[in-house]
Amino acid sequence: MTRRPSTLLVVVAAVAACIAPLVLSDQTFFVHTVLAAVVVSGLSMLMGYAGQASLGQGAFVAVGALTVALGTTRWGLPPLVVLLLAPLVAGMFATVVGRPLLRLQGHYLAFGTLALLLMVQTAMSSIDALGGAYGVSGIPAFGVGGWTVTDQRPYAYLALACLAVVLWSSARIVDSRFGRAMRALSGSETAAESAGVPVGWTKVGVFALSAAFAGLAGAVTAFFTPYVSADSFPPLESFTYVIMAVVGGLGTIWGGVVGAVVVSVLLQALNTVSSQPGLPPTAAPIIQYAAYGTVLIIALLFLPRGIVPSVGSLRLRRPQGSPA
Amino acid sequence: MLTIDRVSKHFGGVYANRDVSMEVPDGELRGVIGPNGAGKSTLFNLVAGHLRPDSGSVSLDGRPLDRMPPHVRARHGVAIVFQGARLFPGMTVLENVMVGAHARTHGGLVAAVVRPPSQRRQERETRELAERCLARVGLEAAAQQPAAALPLGQQRRLQVARALAGQPRVLLLDEPASGLRAGERTDLTDLVRELNADGMTILLVEHDVGMVTSLAHRITVLDLGEVIADGTPAEVTTDPRVITAYLGAGGQHAAQHTGAQHVAHR
Repeated sequence: MTRRPSTLLVVVAAVAACIAPLVLSDQTFFVHTVLAAVVVSGLSMLMGYAGQASLGQGAFVAVGALTVALGTTRWGLPPLVVLLLAPLVAGMFATVVGRPLLRLQGHYLAFGTLALLLMVQTAMSSIDALGGAYGVSGIPAFGVGGWTVTDQRPYAYLALACLAVVLWSSARIVDSRFGRAMRALSGSETAAESAGVPVGWTKVGVFALSAAFAGLAGAVTAFFTPYVSADSFPPLESFTYVIMAVVGGLGTIWGGVVGAVVVSVLLQALNTVSSQPGLPPTAAPIIQYAAYGTVLIIALLFLPRGIVPSVGSLRLRRPQGSPA
Repeated sequence: MLTIDRVSKHFGGVYANRDVSMEVPDGELRGVIGPNGAGKSTLFNLVAGHLRPDSGSVSLDGRPLDRMPPHVRARHGVAIVFQGARLFPGMTVLENVMVGAHARTHGGLVAAVVRPPSQRRQERETRELAERCLARVGLEAAAQQPAAALPLGQQRRLQVARALAGQPRVLLLDEPASGLRAGERTDLTDLVRELNADGMTILLVEHDVGMVTSLAHRITVLDLGEVIADGTPAEVTTDPRVITAYLGAGGQHAAQHTGAQHVAHR
């Protein structure tokens, strides 16, 4: 079932998200948080519905970013074209690697996806055509037709637009033939298969979808930064996506957004605390790593289903013991 | 015509099925009985494609199913209702049934997002079909409930509705009455009889021998993975090998526990 959050809550959140870039002087945190929500929305579907964990979503963010970096600097493609191309390329890449990768299950799959990320990183840093040791710089600013972005603020709105598209598509997918097949997998693969659901391809489909979302986020990052190298996609960031997905609630449309915002704000707050004068320079990374572990443990102990399903069940007063 | 031709399957050194052959003509209601461990569920899994036989072949109307994975067999009209309740608990009752129509419908990710008119029409038709299937099993009032909230008897009927949504040619029912109360059992018996009267070919595995003998046109009896008898209910229940298989060396005493008294007293 898809629980619909109250319209009021969505409107308030949307209005707040649209006003925020006008108030903020530096958009970096905002853009990164919104793009994390884009990635985590896809990951939440993959983990929640297809039951597959990916520790390497950064690989697809990288593919999306590379599509933009190489498309604009090497092949001279217009920014809008590469922006639309990036999720397609990432999705196709996932379809190709997904078929063998998704034969793995559980921990093996998680490590397989992590290995994929490391391979993508290695390829980027060692193959000159993919940036090599210096990465790809000189990515032009985003623009459409004669209009070109000159400051940070439009990127905040571009990121929001991407998130809106992702959420809208997700809602449509969940309530569709493909979406029902995908959700059936988490209930019983055997029963789904008997009903005519091609289990293998459906998993690859969800994997490709999550990769396409990640690729879209990577594309915007590439324009925003505007520099892409192997070091732009550290494994820790991919782990953070998993934590965000779990904290927000797997297999819910809004879980990705809530998880991304809550974890990003928390990490930012800790960052501010640890950079206070008087604290040693090592404080920041130590506090951050500790926070990852603490957040995850607290979430699993007290909100094992994640924030969104837990809040939803409080409101709907569902019968005890019924699965999410 | 469903043809099972000398199918064998062993796990380790134990044969779960050994040279099992069976021909089920269209429209027949075939009972499959046998003591625990006779290989009834294994046989169903071999037909539905969840297990691959070591040797032998299963075909529907002369078309071999052996190389087809379960979801392709579903497209060819094979549906199975599993022992226990294998539902999709996170979905509504209606959505569960709509998944059952997957084998007969089309459309992937792109169709889901773009929703062209053909897709919208198909969604509407799937919904209507699912509603009819729910009405058929008497669950229409529960359509919007979460599937996990249903009591066991209704979950079993939901599984039947899900199988019906695929509009199967052959329906495999694996112990549909186990764990049901007497009233639910009668309802289920009536439902199975109605479905068969409408022309659906049904294979029924059931511990309740009384239920099978009252429903089935023919009965195949398995023991230790092999077919030991095959015939009308009257023939099978008087077959000395069947009585021995059910009664075993323990005689009448064991019959009390296996439900074999139905067999022995006919």
